[in-house]
Amino acid sequence: MRSPFAVAALGLALALTAGCGVDTASPARAAARFHTAVAAHQEAAACALLTPTTAEKLPDPDETCAQALAALKLGPGGRVTGVEVWGDDAVVRMAGDTVFLHRFSGGWRVTAAGCEPRRDLPYDCEVED
Amino acid sequence: MRWIKDNALSLAFLVMFLLALAGQAWSGAIHYNEEQLVNGLQPVSVWAYVTSSSFAVDVAENWQSEYLQFLLFIVLTVWLVQKGSPESKQPGEEGPEADREQLVGEHAEKNSPRWARARGARLWMYSNSLGLVMGTIFVLSWLAQSVAGLAAYNSERITDLRDPVTWGWYVTSSEFWNRSLQNWQSELLAVLSMVVLSIYLRQRGSPESKPVGAPHRATSVEG
Repeated sequence: MRSPFAVAALGLALALTAGCGVDTASPARAAARFHTAVAAHQEAAACALLTPTTAEKLPDPDETCAQALAALKLGPGGRVTGVEVWGDDAVVRMAGDTVFLHRFSGGWRVTAAGCEPRRDLPYDCEVED
Repeated sequence: MRWIKDNALSLAFLVMFLLALAGQAWSGAIHYNEEQLVNGLQPVSVWAYVTSSSFAVDVAENWQSEYLQFLLFIVLTVWLVQKGSPESKQPGEEGPEADREQLVGEHAEKNSPRWARARGARLWMYSNSLGLVMGTIFVLSWLAQSVAGLAAYNSERITDLRDPVTWGWYVTSSEFWNRSLQNWQSELLAVLSMVVLSIYLRQRGSPESKPVGAPHRATSVEG
């Protein structure tokens, strides 16, 4: 009696989780906008693209997010070479950086940038939450 | 009314299943949102949660283990016996049994299912249909667990500033096998308990138990 229901429900579960129709363009655009703003010394605009937690943790007590971001002197992001989206999280690989993002109701926000890979360990990021 | 009474067991389990699933969705969404707030992220709706990989993997990992449990119970009791258990056949009856005992082919009766009268592949398929369907649901559930688990695991990895992994990496990972085996061990213990405890203990009126006065050594006797 439950078998047809179970099969249908599992099919639904597979369809929901198989990643069909994933929007990779939006996180890629958000990452590119962040690096464009940093390169143009529009640090306040770049800070607006960070998640609230990341923007809050970045500055020291006596400075603003924009000042802290300017002091980091992040290198250029370059072109996007790959995007992976899993649920509400995404990683955007660029020629000069790897950017981590999270999806909020208002769009994608950067959780970490200026990241260098470390073997078997999390990325070491200059901007992170 | 008569229909409800005749199908009360299935209906009771269906209602309990739906209530439990709804409860899992509701409580799971609350727990998920507590973690979201701790991590500085936005809470999600119950609908967003039940369509997430987190909910799907939790559901699928329990389903696969339940169907594996019943698959093993159905198939192993063909070949293995437990003396004194109402869940077992009599010692000496191991195997698929003769056509006469199974009422198939020329031994089928007037009210036997149509495929019980068939021969060849159709008879083989119908003769094993319970195990085949349970096995198919187990495999699909386990596959769903692997796909949903991969999505949930990769979301966590990105949050932890780590690269996502492939499906092949995930299904050979400790995360996947720990999720699977922690469910399997509990299901196998439950079957073992049922088989052994029902030798010595009784539940009056239950067909899963021997009659209260049946001797401990009596096998394949249901009350």
